[in-house]
Amino acid sequence: MPFMTSPELLLNPVLICRNEAEKCLIETSINSLRISLKVKQADELENILAKKFLRFLSMRAEAFQVLRRKPVQGYDISFLITNYHCEELQKQKLIDFIVQFMEDIDKEISELKMSVSTRGRLVATEFLKQF
Amino acid sequence: MASFERASPALKEILLRIYNAEKPIEVDYHLYEFGSVEYHIKSSVSEPQVTYLSISTPFLSQGVFLSYGLSPFTLKMVRQISTDVLHIVEPANDGYQLTLRLDFSKLPHNKESLKIITEVSSVQAVILSSQLKEMLQNVNSWDSSQAMYKPIKLIYHPKEPFYVIRQPQKIVAVFPMRFKDNSDVIIATSFFQELMDVVSLKKWAKVPPCNWSPIPPLELRGESFEDLSTNGGFVSFDISSHHVEGKRLDKTVWSLLNFYAYVKHHVKCTRGFIQRRMRRRLDNLVEVLEKSRVEDGQIKKVQGWRKMRKMVGSKSKMIKRRWGDLGKKIKRIRFRIKIHGFARFRRRWLTVPSFSSSTAYTKLQTNGNNN
Repeated sequence: MPFMTSPELLLNPVLICRNEAEKCLIETSINSLRISLKVKQADELENILAKKFLRFLSMRAEAFQVLRRKPVQGYDISFLITNYHCEELQKQKLIDFIVQFMEDIDKEISELKMSVSTRGRLVATEFLKQF
Repeated sequence: MASFERASPALKEILLRIYNAEKPIEVDYHLYEFGSVEYHIKSSVSEPQVTYLSISTPFLSQGVFLSYGLSPFTLKMVRQISTDVLHIVEPANDGYQLTLRLDFSKLPHNKESLKIITEVSSVQAVILSSQLKEMLQNVNSWDSSQAMYKPIKLIYHPKEPFYVIRQPQKIVAVFPMRFKDNSDVIIATSFFQELMDVVSLKKWAKVPPCNWSPIPPLELRGESFEDLSTNGGFVSFDISSHHVEGKRLDKTVWSLLNFYAYVKHHVKCTRGFIQRRMRRRLDNLVEVLEKSRVEDGQIKKVQGWRKMRKMVGSKSKMIKRRWGDLGKKIKRIRFRIKIHGFARFRRRWLTVPSFSSSTAYTKLQTNGNNN
């Protein structure tokens, strides 16, 4: 990615913010694109679930090809899409994948939080049945 | 639900092996559990139906019980395991708090024998729980003229003490919670909040009220800093007289003794659950990405008119063949006069060049939209 050596090849980055806690940074150049996401984390539980999940995915970045192992500073996860990826993968479907990824992250964190709370409640009920 | 068995699995297996042996066997085992519990099992050929079992276990509360050994209440609880099979040997063997003489000839020859051996294997749990039972049994015998009782520190799991504090009409059990990982703290805190929510429901009015607090309760002020420094807060249960009536006493005691283990087990299972969910989601996402891949089979390279000819439909083939035949006939009629070299001249100068058409090119075909 032409960053340090050829700044004239970089295009203007685009920042899309839903609010202070949720934003998407798109940095483009002539042959690649970097998309960084900051995911919503309303409380401590969502915070650790998001961290665990995104770290889990980042550690397996080779399975995704377009995912970076280390997110950009200030963000939770980053994609790097190069011209080579555009040759191997269909563009439209790649865009669909990125959008679905963003939706699935939010959905998965919400479902995990709900599952953890539900499990806690069931376990608490079983514990109290012993008295 | 997690099952925390009272019986020691290793001890049970050894006793069953001795009981089920066809011939008398010589046995002298030393068994260690949890780093601090020791069993000594001895059986000789000279006394085939008798086995000696010695136990050394740290007491729940070191300060109260150590100087006096096992209390009469504890010995009474141990005898109640089985009055026929089990006899307490006094004094106990050196290095052990209790030595039992087990007479297997008194065991019934049915499924009851397994039940009794299982109960004998749970003697360590009986010793420890009897100490807590003794404290909880006299809930209402608190004298209002006395000052508040000092908290009694009890250790069931190593490095995880909990406190029992006597108050008017109730006994409070306080558990300082500690976890190694920050994520464990948050999962456990979520569990404690659910526990408090459930206890507050009308349906659970009869269970001991439960409270969680991030700071030590007032009753523990004055205890050592080391014991009160936690990252998981403090969980307290208020035990009143109806929680310790009759058979409820044993259940209450066992639940309190295993509260730590229960919470740790829940946290561990939740982590495993989160891991499984993440793995499943990863597989789903990778599947979506794989669908966007351009496959080799989708690229069709077509070279020359001959290959393209195969792809043309049979009807157009027929028409072309017929035209070709007609053309040849016309040529034969036209060129009845043969001139030497003319055919070569004709081929070079008189044939119409074939322009590039759909039958002679290399085409890259893909399924989706191309650039």
